[in-house]
Amino acid sequence: MADDSPASHRRDPIKSSVGNVAAQRRRQNAVTVGKERRESLVRAKRLCRVGPSGDGDVPGEENDMVTDEEGFLLDAQTSSAVEDLKSAIAYQGKGAMQKRVNALRELRRLLSKSEFPPVEAALKAGAIPLLVQCLSFGSPDEQLLEAAWCLTNIAAGKPEETKALLPALPLLIAHLGEKSSLPVAEQCAWALGNVAGEGEELRNVLLSQGALPPLARMMLPNKGSTVRTAAWALSNLIKGPDPKAATELIKVDGLLDAILRHLRKSDEELATEVAWVVVYLSALSNFATGVLVKSDAILLLVERLATSNSLQLLIPVLRSLGNLVAGDSHTTSTVLIPGHEITDGVIKVLVKCLKSDHRILKKEASWVLSNIAAGSIEHKQLIYSSEAVPLLLRLLSTAPFDIRKEVAYVLGNLCVTPSGGDGKPNLIEEHLVSLVQRGCLSGFIDLVRSADIEAARLGLQFMELVLRGMPNGDGPKLVEQEDGIDAVERYQFHENEDLRNMANGLVDKYFGENYGIDE
Amino acid sequence: MEWNPETLQFLSQCFLHTLSPQPEPRRAAESSLSEAADRPNYGLAVLRLVAEPSVDEQIRQAAAVNFKNHLRTRWVPSNDLNAGPTFSPILDPEKDQIKTLIVSLMLSSSPRIQSQLSEALAVIGKHDFPKSWPTLLPELISNLQKAAQSSDYASINGILGTANSIFKKFRYQYKTNDLLLDLKYCLDNFAAPLLDIFLKTASLIDSTASSPGGGSPATLQPLFESQRLCCRIFYSLNFQELPEFFEDHMKEWMSEFRKYLTTNYPSLESSGDGLALVDQLRAAVCENISLYMEKNEEEFQGYLNDFASAVWSLLTNVSQSSSRDKLAVTAMKFLTTVSTSVHHTLFASEGVIPQICQSIVIPNVRLRDEDEELFEMNYIEFIRRDMEGSDLDTRRRIACELLKGIATNYKKQVTDIVSLQIQNLLSSFATNPSANWKDKDCAIYLVVSLATKKAGGTLVSTDLVDVQSFFLSVIVPELQSQDVNGFPMLKAGALKFFTTFRGLIQKPVAFQLFPDLVRFLGAESNVVHSYAASCIEKLLLVKDEGGKARYTSADITPCVPVLMNNLFNSLKFPESEENQYIMKCILRVLAVADISSEIAGPCIAGLTSILNEVCKNPRNPIFNHYLFESVAILIRRACERDASLISAFEGSLFPSLQTILANDVTEFLPYAFQLLAQLVELNKPPISPSYMQIFVLLLSPDSWRRSSNVPALVRLLQAFLQKAPNEVNQEGRLNQVLGIFNMLVSSASSDEQGFYVLNTVIENLEYGVISPYMGNIWNVLFMRLQNNRTVKFQKSLVIFMSLFLIKHGATNLVDTMNAVQDNIFLVILEQFWIPNLKLITGAIELKLTAVASTRLICESPVLLDPAAARLWGKMLDSIVTLLSRPEQDRVEEEPEMPDIAENVGYTATFVKLYNAGKREEDPLTDVKDPKQFLVASLAKLSALTPGRYPQIINENLEPANQAALLQLCGIYNCQIV
Repeated sequence: MADDSPASHRRDPIKSSVGNVAAQRRRQNAVTVGKERRESLVRAKRLCRVGPSGDGDVPGEENDMVTDEEGFLLDAQTSSAVEDLKSAIAYQGKGAMQKRVNALRELRRLLSKSEFPPVEAALKAGAIPLLVQCLSFGSPDEQLLEAAWCLTNIAAGKPEETKALLPALPLLIAHLGEKSSLPVAEQCAWALGNVAGEGEELRNVLLSQGALPPLARMMLPNKGSTVRTAAWALSNLIKGPDPKAATELIKVDGLLDAILRHLRKSDEELATEVAWVVVYLSALSNFATGVLVKSDAILLLVERLATSNSLQLLIPVLRSLGNLVAGDSHTTSTVLIPGHEITDGVIKVLVKCLKSDHRILKKEASWVLSNIAAGSIEHKQLIYSSEAVPLLLRLLSTAPFDIRKEVAYVLGNLCVTPSGGDGKPNLIEEHLVSLVQRGCLSGFIDLVRSADIEAARLGLQFMELVLRGMPNGDGPKLVEQEDGIDAVERYQFHENEDLRNMANGLVDKYFGENYGIDE
Repeated sequence: MEWNPETLQFLSQCFLHTLSPQPEPRRAAESSLSEAADRPNYGLAVLRLVAEPSVDEQIRQAAAVNFKNHLRTRWVPSNDLNAGPTFSPILDPEKDQIKTLIVSLMLSSSPRIQSQLSEALAVIGKHDFPKSWPTLLPELISNLQKAAQSSDYASINGILGTANSIFKKFRYQYKTNDLLLDLKYCLDNFAAPLLDIFLKTASLIDSTASSPGGGSPATLQPLFESQRLCCRIFYSLNFQELPEFFEDHMKEWMSEFRKYLTTNYPSLESSGDGLALVDQLRAAVCENISLYMEKNEEEFQGYLNDFASAVWSLLTNVSQSSSRDKLAVTAMKFLTTVSTSVHHTLFASEGVIPQICQSIVIPNVRLRDEDEELFEMNYIEFIRRDMEGSDLDTRRRIACELLKGIATNYKKQVTDIVSLQIQNLLSSFATNPSANWKDKDCAIYLVVSLATKKAGGTLVSTDLVDVQSFFLSVIVPELQSQDVNGFPMLKAGALKFFTTFRGLIQKPVAFQLFPDLVRFLGAESNVVHSYAASCIEKLLLVKDEGGKARYTSADITPCVPVLMNNLFNSLKFPESEENQYIMKCILRVLAVADISSEIAGPCIAGLTSILNEVCKNPRNPIFNHYLFESVAILIRRACERDASLISAFEGSLFPSLQTILANDVTEFLPYAFQLLAQLVELNKPPISPSYMQIFVLLLSPDSWRRSSNVPALVRLLQAFLQKAPNEVNQEGRLNQVLGIFNMLVSSASSDEQGFYVLNTVIENLEYGVISPYMGNIWNVLFMRLQNNRTVKFQKSLVIFMSLFLIKHGATNLVDTMNAVQDNIFLVILEQFWIPNLKLITGAIELKLTAVASTRLICESPVLLDPAAARLWGKMLDSIVTLLSRPEQDRVEEEPEMPDIAENVGYTATFVKLYNAGKREEDPLTDVKDPKQFLVASLAKLSALTPGRYPQIINENLEPANQAALLQLCGIYNCQIV
């Protein structure tokens, strides 16, 4: 537990009116109330319309639209298919096995036919206990496969429909083992992945029933499709918010090597799934982060970023890299050392992301940069003299709000080193002066005006740097020219005490009653 | 307090009497209640009374108010030492019972009681929700659903109101994991029920409004109130980030939002109250869409066009109407957000900006009746809004913000159009000045408000007009108008313009107008004479390049007599008796002008007469502060010129100061002591007998009991010790001073002040004078150390011992201490000095203690004795910690005991008078760098016995400190051999 608590919030020194948060690494908040980013939401649950091994009926026409009549018909067919399955199971005579398989296949076909499978009808007709029965040990592979496939698509439905799988979970987990055939194991993994994608409660059930070790072992061989499905299921399973599962996963023998191997060699599709596993490992578990940063992971992530143009892949790879930088100071202190090839590589790929048209890439790349910029003075110099700065300056004035905020963290971090004795960060005057001359102050003052209180705090902190640090006491004049006084005065009576004190402190100190008087 | 018929009777009687118009029974009831409030279960009993249907509604209402206030002070009593008296907290079992009862009670009460209980509930929620009150939200939700089924809007709105207040914290706290966990909990439980009730109410509104006659206002009112509350809750829940549920249901929310902006509800809007209600809902909607626009513009994008046009047409109507302020403001804020966002191109099409300017900005900037009323009735508030930036939520200001917002991307268009508008307004004024004066006001307001704001009197710039020529053609005619009382709002506008652009107006032009400014001090309008004073005051602060004042004493001295006369006269206008702008102007003039005795005389007379007046009832602390500053600067500057004036000042001021001391005017005592200190310092010894009278008062322990007095008293004591050391040593006065020290130092709440006194004595008197008292002083200190050794005290002791050592040498220190008890010095050193040294903070204190400690180990025979080698090493270890580590690594936050005595019964605080001030003195000016002093001293010492100290260092210093010491030796090129 001790090593796995999510990023703690370091306390600011008491004395500082303007804290030095800007000089620290920031992890993403461990708790989120927003949607998981769309890319991962889409993948949280997946319908299986074409079997993993390529069999099954490919829907004949691209006829995904189901009219009301068709939907009604489908429901009716499904109910009767469940009835047929019931009688096939009851039947003990000759060809019983084939009969069961046929009935299962029919049900599976109906459940795979459209994007909106008739899950409700199947559940109402009582499919679950029957399917559980079909999963019993010793059943032929074909039967297991079809049953697991049915369950997969039921689990892809609404939350309560996913929950209906509860009685099937122990058997689905049992069939993940080495004794099962690969297609069966993979199909079971798929079903479990859907269950894990539903939410924390079901994840905890799966973990307590021991789903993690067999899924992890499925990642070890070099079998493309199986590894992909297992990785996806695992990324759902370790999502937390409890970091325990992530820590458990990284401790599985051979798992780290497998991750590295897949990141190094596999195709983009598989690499994408593996990268999502790395995302959650590094987001949640300090232990896993510690293990990963000491491996080749960073190098491999950078290579992927450099060579791929697939957005699907770039997003998790970039996020992983960011987590590794933010989560463990080892990354910046011993891996990304300025002057090493890998460090230049990182900056280069981040610049590439900043240049992309995609909003998330720009935002996340800025976030990663801000954490590197929280490193040593050499890191700051490296970024400062890179191609990133002109891009960042442009983004600060033109990008949407969330990107501007991240960019501001980078630029802010470039201008300070962690605080000296008085609690205020020390300035890097050269960087500050040049960035201000290139027009970044107005961007920060816009942040002061925003409704987002963290952005406002960052804006005020930067303003404090300018007021204190611009040579010849030019700071106040510059802030005035950008209408900064007006922006600060908004916080005079703000409900957030910290901001209020910060703003009033700045006004008193630099623009107070006696500002401009000699005495 | 037990709940029985007697309690019921007692409490009902009390609450009844608290409503009595007669003061005696009212006060008696209030005091019995406040006594009863200390008993356990008092809150519960009052709550029960509120719930008792047999009791008169009026009494229950008073009880509900009392209950709320009781919770406010006692649910979680404040730890803040400065917050006033502390209360005994409500105990947990009582809290639990209150929490069980309050929701249902609140919902079943009448509206007035409900609102009190809802506030009380919010007080509890602030501390306990959600973690210590897990039943609250489920209870609210189940009640909400029940009430929704029966369309019981009294209850629904009660519940929503409560939810609104407990969710408000999400609007201003930083995003931490803890906050997000709380938010997630609220969202998981409340997001869906909120949408349900919002949609249900929406459809009720739709069906009611579409019924014949548009529904009765009585039916619609609670529905609109309910929707407004839903919108406010929406705002809180969406503030930190866009929650998944709200993203998934954005369409439902947005289509209702849009409806309220675009639909009229005539049956409700025909009355003023009804319109206000609908407008409040619309304003809440505007805040929500502004939030989305700012933070989630990508998800919101699809709705943007519709909302932009809805808000725009709404504003076109609202802008013409003279009430509807809040709505106009929030709607303009939305457009401002759009204008600065990535979607600003909405404003790019032909004609949009001119139309916004014409139909939204100008109408909102124009003066309205309310503004005129405020100008006449409440000049202070008017000035605050008009000049001092408290106008964040006024239409005028926000309309200008909108223009500034659009100008971020379309500067040229905005500048062109506004310049044109200004020309139009001015020509309209020219055609009929007395009828169209508001047009001119509007033009001036636009120029001033759109200028980039500056502080401190440097340049202000604007692209809208040429400031010089605008000033000459538009402003100067107003300032030269012979009638100082005609069109006062225009005059105020002109003065404000002058003040704002003072840096840009060339000296000859401005200078020529100086007599006019002086003339306007005589205007009847409070705003106008305040602005005239403020303009003069600010002009005197203008600096030219290179920081030299633009207007010097030579410029203003000729007109100072008239100016001063007018300033003092304007303080006689009704409501300007304590006008802070005028007093500040007096201060500034006294700071700049030559203070001849012709000027000093009337000024001191004028100031003392005001002083005598305000002593009777100090009200405006800012005015009073400038008043005392004025006196201080007058004394300082006049006596600098002519030392003989001092006795004249003493003659006029003494009676006033004596009144303050004799009548114990608490607020003014710190000022009086500072002025006295200033006068004492200006005196040449021997000090006159009248001062010695005051000295007697200074020595009375009563004067020192109030902590707000102490800094000023110390300052005065310093002055006496410096100017009259001999007098101090007479008639047992030093004994009295030490008596004060004794009193102060014995209590943990005032020991710091005690050390102030002691340190002043030690610093200023000869050793021969104090040596007879040292035994006694040490006794007092050791006693205190034995009884109550707070960290703060130990640190103060270390500082005192250091100061003593620096002033009177290590031998005297050791000997006087050991005279009290054999060998106590080493005990104190080991137990207190060494461990507390590394906790010292503050630059002067750090240097003082480091140097003193260094001298101790390098000079004192006690420590140079080989037997003391271990202590020597530990002391050095502590010095190195002190000097080599940043403060936050050395000093842990120390739990301080709460100071109760300090905070009871007065409100005065110490405010330093700048012009009577004295710098904090460094007792050790000859040592610049304590680190260098340390290593140089060590090097010198070790050279005497090579080999001895490296070993002691090796044995006694932490490895980190050994390294740090080595590093210091390297830096200063010294060696310990």
